[in-house]
Amino acid sequence: MKLTITNVSKRYGKATYGLKDFSLTMENGILGLLGPNGAGKSTLLKMIATVSKPTDGLICLNKNNIVKDPNYMRQQLGFLPQDFGVYPNLNAFEFLNYMAAIKGVGGSNMNKRITQLLEGLNLIEAAKKPIGSYSGGMKQRVGIAQALLNNPKVLIFDEPTVGLDPEERVRFRNLISDLASDCIVILSSHIVSDIDTIADKVAIMKSGGLITHGNQDELIAQLSGKVFETTINNQELNAFKLKHTVVSTARKSRQLVVRYISDNPTPDSVRKEANLEDAYLYLTKTI
Amino acid sequence: MKHFLAIVKYDYLQRTRTYSFLITLCVSLVIAYTFLPSPDADYSTIRISDYVGHYNSSWVGYITAILTSVFLSLIGFYLITGTIKTDNETRVGQIISATPITNFTYLLTKATSNFLLLLTLVGILFVMSIGLFFLYGDGFPFELLQFVQPYLIIAVPTMVFISVLAVVFELIFGKYSVIQNAVFFFLFSVMMLYNPKTELQQAFDVFGSKVVTQQMEQTVRNIKNTNSDQELAIGYIISSKQPTKRFQFDGIEFSTNFILSRFVLVVLSFMGLFLVAPFFHRFNMRERKGVKKKKILLEKKLIEQDLNLSDLAIMRKNYSIIPLFKAEFLMLVRKGKPWLWIFNLMGVVLLATLSIDVAHQIVLPVLWFLQVHRFSDITTKETTNQMHYYAFSSYLPLRRLLTAQLSSAFVLILGLALPLFIRYLLVMNAQALLSIILGGFFIVLLAAVLGLLTKGKKLFEILFFLLTYANLNKVPLLDYFGGLPQNNQFTIYLICLVLILLGLTFLFRKWQLSKE
Repeated sequence: MKLTITNVSKRYGKATYGLKDFSLTMENGILGLLGPNGAGKSTLLKMIATVSKPTDGLICLNKNNIVKDPNYMRQQLGFLPQDFGVYPNLNAFEFLNYMAAIKGVGGSNMNKRITQLLEGLNLIEAAKKPIGSYSGGMKQRVGIAQALLNNPKVLIFDEPTVGLDPEERVRFRNLISDLASDCIVILSSHIVSDIDTIADKVAIMKSGGLITHGNQDELIAQLSGKVFETTINNQELNAFKLKHTVVSTARKSRQLVVRYISDNPTPDSVRKEANLEDAYLYLTKTI
Repeated sequence: MKHFLAIVKYDYLQRTRTYSFLITLCVSLVIAYTFLPSPDADYSTIRISDYVGHYNSSWVGYITAILTSVFLSLIGFYLITGTIKTDNETRVGQIISATPITNFTYLLTKATSNFLLLLTLVGILFVMSIGLFFLYGDGFPFELLQFVQPYLIIAVPTMVFISVLAVVFELIFGKYSVIQNAVFFFLFSVMMLYNPKTELQQAFDVFGSKVVTQQMEQTVRNIKNTNSDQELAIGYIISSKQPTKRFQFDGIEFSTNFILSRFVLVVLSFMGLFLVAPFFHRFNMRERKGVKKKKILLEKKLIEQDLNLSDLAIMRKNYSIIPLFKAEFLMLVRKGKPWLWIFNLMGVVLLATLSIDVAHQIVLPVLWFLQVHRFSDITTKETTNQMHYYAFSSYLPLRRLLTAQLSSAFVLILGLALPLFIRYLLVMNAQALLSIILGGFFIVLLAAVLGLLTKGKKLFEILFFLLTYANLNKVPLLDYFGGLPQNNQFTIYLICLVLILLGLTFLFRKWQLSKE
C-alpha cells in the first residue's frame, strides 16, 4: 500500500487555508501525526478519508486518484473521526451491522466478526443495550470497532484515545501495533505519549503546513545535546522563557525544575536525553 | 437586570443566527404576503358571509393583525419551542445549572427571548402589511394608528402568551414533544373555536380577535338589515358561491376593559411562569441518573485479553441496501418513547373501525401527524448525530443510503394506513388508494427536502402542523391524501408534486455531498 499526498491545499473563503501545499508519502506502518489544535490534522485526515475534497492537489492510493475515485479508498478504509457520533437508539450489534452495510461488506461471517470485535473491545456485555446509554469510552470503542469492520488496509484514527482510560489506551496501542504490518495506519494526536511508543514515522504539523516528517530517531537527533534541566525561582521563569525554549516545569520545594532546549545553557544546567516531546515542542514553538 | 438583559440578548442572537430561522422567516413572509389577497385573487382570508372590507387602513391593519395573532401563534409556537432542550443537548444547561441564576430568572430569559423572536416576526409582518396597503390600496388615506393599534393590542399580548406557553409546555412535557404538539394542537383548536358572547367572555379570547370579527359581523348585519348570525370565515377561502361584496370597516374603539384584559393576559402569563419555576429540572433529569447506574454496571466486567486481529472472521463485499433499510426502519420505529406506539395502535384500530370517511379525513392525518418526530429528521439525523463522516463517505450514498432512508419511511407511513388500504381494496376504490400512497410519499419527501434545505426539522414540523390543521378544517387545496372528493386533475398535480420533491431530495443531497 502506498499513499501519496501531493501539494494538497484546502481553502476556506478567498484566503483562509485549513491546509496549504501539503505533501507526504507513506507506506505500510504507523504514521503519527502531531500538531497543536488548529494545525490542520483533522482537515488532512478528512480529505484522505474522502469526507471532504481538497481545493488543490492530488491524493493517490496505489496510484489511484482518490479525489476523483473516492470509492477506491472507501472500500479499504477504516476511519475514526475526532468528533464522530452514533445513532443512540441502536445497540452496538445493530450499529455495527448498519456500518457494515454502509461500508458495503457482509456475508455469512459478518455476525461472527462483529461478535469478535465486540468481545475484543470489551463491549460484548453491553452489545444489546442502546448506544445512547454508553459512556464516552464505550462509544469510543464502538468507533474503533466500526473502523476495523471491513478488514481495512488504510486506517485513520483522529484523536482515538479521547475518553479512554489508561488501561484502554494501552490496549488500543497494542491493537494499532498489530495492524502496522500490512496496513497504512495514520494516528493523529496532540498527546505525544500516544504516538511515541508505536509510530514508525512522525509528521509534525503547524498552521496548515508540514514542519517535518521522518523517523522518530531522526527528529529526536536534531535536539541532541540541546536538552537541559535546571532549577530556578518562580519569579525568574518569564525572563528564562525569553532566552530558552521551555519544554516543561515542575514545582519542587518552592522552586521550579525546568526542562528546556537551548544552544546556550545556563552554567548549572544538567544535560538530558532528548525525546519526541522535546522535538515536538521545539519544532512547533520555534518554526 | 444588566445580566438578565445580556442573557436574553445572546440567547436571542444565538437563535436568530441559524439557517432554520432564516428559512422560517422567509416562509412566514410568504404566508404573510397572502394574508391580504390581491383584489383579483380567487381567495380571501377573512370574510363575513359574502362580504369583505374595502382595502382601507382599518381593514388592512386589523385583518393582518388578527391573522398575525392567529397564524404566528401556530407557527411561532413551533419556532420557539425546544430552547431548554437545546441547552440540554449542547450541555450549556449543565454549566447554567451550576451558576447562581434562579429557576425563574432562567425561564424568564427563555420566555423573553422567545418573545423577542416572535416580536421580530410581528415587526416584519407589520411593515409588510403597510407595504401591502400601498400595493393594493383602493385610494384610501393611510392612517398609521389603524395599523399600530390592532398590532399592539391584539398581536403583541398573544405573542407574550405564546412565548411563555412554549416554555411552560417544555417544562411540563419535557422530552415528550409528540404529546406537547398534540396538546398544543388541541388547545389551539379550542381557542379558534371559542366564541365569546359577552364582554367578560371576550377577555378570555387569547388571540384577541373575536372582538374585531364580531364588530365586522355586526357591520354586515347592519348593511343586510338582519339580526341573524353572519357566516364568518377565517383562513384561506378559495372562491365563493356568491360574488364578493365590499363593506366599509373603520376599525373599532377598544374598550378599557378589553385593553385591561390583554394586559391581564400578559401578567397571568408571567405568573404562570413563576408558578412552574420551582418544578424546573435544572438539567438534572432523573432519567439520566438511571442511565448512569446502568453504565457503571456495564463497565464492571473487564476482559484482560487483547483483540487479535488476525483471528477475525473475513467479510466479503455486499452492496445490498436491505441491511441499511432494516436499520433505518428500526431507527424510525424506535424514535421516541415506546409507549407512544399505544397511540399509533389506537389510530390503526380507529382506521379499521370508524366510518371510512371519518377514518380517511380525520384519523389518517392525525395518525400521520403523530409521526412528525420520526420523519422530521430523516435527512438531518446524520449531521445531528455526527454520523455524516460515515454516511457521506459511504459507498454510493445516494443510491443506497438515501434510498434506504426514504423507502423505510414510505413503508412505515403506508404501513400505518394499512387498515384503510384494506378497506378501500375491498370496495375497489383505486382513486382513494392512490391518493393515500401519494399522500404518504408527499409527507416523507417534504420532510426530506425541508430537512436538506434548512438543515433542521422545525420548518417541516411547522408546515406539517399547518397542513394537518388545514385538513381537519377540510381545506380542499391542502388535501394531500385525498380525504375530500377530488378530481383526476388533482391527483395528477399530486403526482407531479411528489416527483418534483423526489427529484429535489436527490438533487439537494447530491449538492450536500459535493459541498463537503
